Amino acid sequence: MEFFLQLVVSGLVIGSIYALIGLGFVIIYKSSSILNFAQGEFLMLGAYVCLAIVSAHQVPFPAAFLLTLAFSALLGVLMERVLLRPMIGEPVISVIMLTLGLASVLKALVQGIWGTDLRSYPEIFPTTPVMVGPLPVSQGYLYSVACVSVLLALFSAFFKYSRAGIAMRATAFSQQVALSMGISVKGIFALAWSIAAVVSAVGGVLLGGIRGGVDGAFALFGLKVIPVVILGGLDSVLGAIVGGLVMGVLENLSGGYLDPLLGGGVKEVAPFIALVAILTVRPYGLFGKVKIERV
Amino acid sequence: MRCGDFRESYAEDMALFETALARRTMVLFLAALVAVPWVASAFWLDVCLRVLIAVIAAVGLNILTGFTGQISLGNAAFLAVGAYATAVLAGRWGLPFPLVIPLSGLITALVGMFFGVPSLRLKGLYLAVATLAAHFVIEFVISHWESVTGGVNGLSVPSPRAGPLVLASDRQLYLLALPLAAGLLLFARNLFRTKVGKAFVAIRDQDVSAEVMGVDVFRYKLLSFAVSSFYVGVAGSLLAYQARIISPENFPISVAIDQLGMIIIGGLGSLLGSVFGAVFITLLPELLRLVTGALATTFPELTTLFASVKMGVFGLAIVLFLIFEPDGMAARWHTIKSYWKLYPFSY
Amino acid sequence: MRLMQSAMRLAVVAVSVAWLAGPASAQEVKVGGIFDLTGITSDVGKPYAQGVRDYVALTNAGGGVNGKRIKLVDVDYGYKIPEAVSAYKRMKEEQVVLINGWGTGDTLALKNFINEDKVPYFSGSFAGDLTDPSRTPYNFFVAPSYSDQIRAWLSWVKEDWKDRTRAPRVAFFYGDNAYGKAPLAAGRAFAKEIGVEVVDEEILPAGFQDANSQLLNMKQKGADYAYVNVTTTGVSLVLKGAKALGLTTKWGSNPYGFSEQLPLVAKETAEGVTGVMPHVPFGTPVPGMKALEDFHKANHPNDTHDAMYVRGWASAMVWVEALRRADKAGKLTGEGVKAALETLKDFDLGGLTSPVSWTATDHRPSTTTAVFVVKDGKLVKVKDYTFPRKPEWLGL
Repeated sequence: MEFFLQLVVSGLVIGSIYALIGLGFVIIYKSSSILNFAQGEFLMLGAYVCLAIVSAHQVPFPAAFLLTLAFSALLGVLMERVLLRPMIGEPVISVIMLTLGLASVLKALVQGIWGTDLRSYPEIFPTTPVMVGPLPVSQGYLYSVACVSVLLALFSAFFKYSRAGIAMRATAFSQQVALSMGISVKGIFALAWSIAAVVSAVGGVLLGGIRGGVDGAFALFGLKVIPVVILGGLDSVLGAIVGGLVMGVLENLSGGYLDPLLGGGVKEVAPFIALVAILTVRPYGLFGKVKIERV
Repeated sequence: MRCGDFRESYAEDMALFETALARRTMVLFLAALVAVPWVASAFWLDVCLRVLIAVIAAVGLNILTGFTGQISLGNAAFLAVGAYATAVLAGRWGLPFPLVIPLSGLITALVGMFFGVPSLRLKGLYLAVATLAAHFVIEFVISHWESVTGGVNGLSVPSPRAGPLVLASDRQLYLLALPLAAGLLLFARNLFRTKVGKAFVAIRDQDVSAEVMGVDVFRYKLLSFAVSSFYVGVAGSLLAYQARIISPENFPISVAIDQLGMIIIGGLGSLLGSVFGAVFITLLPELLRLVTGALATTFPELTTLFASVKMGVFGLAIVLFLIFEPDGMAARWHTIKSYWKLYPFSY
Repeated sequence: MRLMQSAMRLAVVAVSVAWLAGPASAQEVKVGGIFDLTGITSDVGKPYAQGVRDYVALTNAGGGVNGKRIKLVDVDYGYKIPEAVSAYKRMKEEQVVLINGWGTGDTLALKNFINEDKVPYFSGSFAGDLTDPSRTPYNFFVAPSYSDQIRAWLSWVKEDWKDRTRAPRVAFFYGDNAYGKAPLAAGRAFAKEIGVEVVDEEILPAGFQDANSQLLNMKQKGADYAYVNVTTTGVSLVLKGAKALGLTTKWGSNPYGFSEQLPLVAKETAEGVTGVMPHVPFGTPVPGMKALEDFHKANHPNDTHDAMYVRGWASAMVWVEALRRADKAGKLTGEGVKAALETLKDFDLGGLTSPVSWTATDHRPSTTTAVFVVKDGKLVKVKDYTFPRKPEWLGL
């Protein structure tokens, strides 16, 4: 029983990071119906930029963190203007390919500037672990859980009550109608990408602090989180959070129980098997809006 | 400028190569390609062989994604299935290559059909994600089904043999791959003037109307997966013979992304585009290598940077093509051709 | 239009042929280098590559191989086997007499090719599979095999374990590739021989970010010691994960997971971790270290170097000597170099690693390796372990 609980806690804790990245996916999808395959690269870039600001320019961490967020916001706007503007109206495969191409370019930039070595992260969180039930958990994870909860509340309120949030939902529903209602669709896109980039940067910095280092493997998180957002529903903020936590637990449970049986590597493939199952049974996920179109 | 080009029968109207000039240049082009093994160095012959394999795979993917509109990120996995099928059939059972290559294609077609079943209910983005999951599942199976696939150590593949004939050198393998590629391209070109091909295109354009008009959408979708996977399986088979040793490392997800890049840069829904895209993406790293090699004496850090430059240029090429030429190189080719067709009377 | 296109293509091909197949000049010896500078083992691959390049530069500065300049045709293959195979084909075209490669997977993949083409292949991989000349006559490396190294560590475990009531329990953590799996068979057999119990084996997939479920599994099986067979970055992730989970297992590392880098990357979690080190840390006062330190001062005084750099340097030292001997015998070809290597007996590398010998029937260069431990962030030697050249261990 203790083993099971330890796996669950471990899963919840890593799931909060997945939830954070998933949130970025969902925000972009919610406003522009694009699945951004470059989300993992945004995460990685955020982590590296924060590290660069701290180590190269000796800026204290809180200020560096804010600067990183500002940089990510600008990056989001830039992405939207340069890349997504020409893609309005293009078929979905072109857009998918564009984000994949963007992912390659960002990865190449990071690798070119900072190399592939693991770079040490400054100590953001105190290192003594905290006991959560039977399992010692490092404080960084608790910060990330707290962060995710705050963001969940923030974004749920944003999409429900604020003008910009409602405008985003309207744009996702129908760009043409939103345009005719006087909503600046281009502005909404830019806002969505900025927010997504900022959220990813937060995730990246948290992850870097927890891991104690950052390297190119951060970009792989992007692919890992796709099952999360499909499980939760591509256009649901709550879904991203729940999906992240569920996937984290699922991963660890399958790693703990199935790895010894099947010889390892099950942990990595379990989310994708779950993805296939979800797509067969309920493609719109737990909380996504259902659009029936069967031919 | 083309003139005096009259169609006097239905057969002429539907011909694959519309003018005598087109037919003649195609023959000359093929002759030039046949001469390559005697003209090119061993390294460039290897590159040409890889181009041929990429062409077959790109055509397969284009049939599925460009002509039938089913986005598939699982191409690397299907390539792996074809390669491993060849490794087992040729390596372990010692079958001759005229049997191995079609059989690998058929096995891959069956696997492809199986993974095409979700396409009934999923479209666009969701189908892409489902095929992505299929890639990881197949990769897992290959890495862990050690009794058949040798796990992470991989399998070695003998040279293609058929009785006393052994294709031991790259040159001979090239002379096998070239007619295979040409034949498959011809088959594909013909496919799209038959009922099946037109059904594929109808599904891409407007599947609801197609169903209403009597095209059994599910059946043709499965058939599209099957045909596409057959092509990719044959490409995988040739890849196995060329690489001589295959392991799960030969088939990461970046291979699927590369091939999608080939058909998008080349032109979705165009066979000529598949060829252009395959040549472009395969030659890009080699050209980069030549450039960095020439500059390496002045900029020694370039060797370390080469991997990132390769990735960056690939990504940049995709992004630029998608922004400035979304219909791909084939569209640009047709634009240039039609300019010259009327030259100098372009008005 | 098509005709012009094909004519242009032929022209490009012809020019490339003339350009690429440059004749090997009489005053030059071409050697190939296949290194990992950007792939999953680049954390140890980069210093290794630098070590090889630097020794070549030093040799060339000193007159080269009997007056002939060494041209190192090196390439970064990113730990991808298909890239290594392409690189090999390119090097064959350049008519290299020897290749200094790197990873286990690609060395094993290329072993048939190099046997056919008779090109001696030095690898960064020390897999036991490469030590039997009846199977791999052209493979060489400069260190005891991975199998001997895991035996050394297991011997240390047996000596360190103080409880008389039961055997020590050991877990193996290994990467999901040929390098990770290389020493396991030998490790299991030897453990049984000396009375150490292997209770658990866990796989660490490529690019893994957390090993929590693997660590929890190991905790359930109650391992007292664990051997990690991935590179330094991976080892530090496992160590950090173990610390976060409060595990008391004692950790040991393979030769590519343990160097001066480990305490820097893993920080306090590296305390007390043991590792096999066939090559000495940079700066150890042995006779051979002087050349490295002089070169470092003269050429890149601001860089730091580690045992992996020493490893690359030592590897190059050996094959340069072989090139010299082959050239003196007038046979500067692949076969000639192989024969020259097999004349090396207790060839002294100035203490950088134990002396190496090869014969036509035994390609195990040496069987002595040292176990080090991390104490106060520094590497401290514990003991040397030497193994007999048992015939049943050849090729294992």
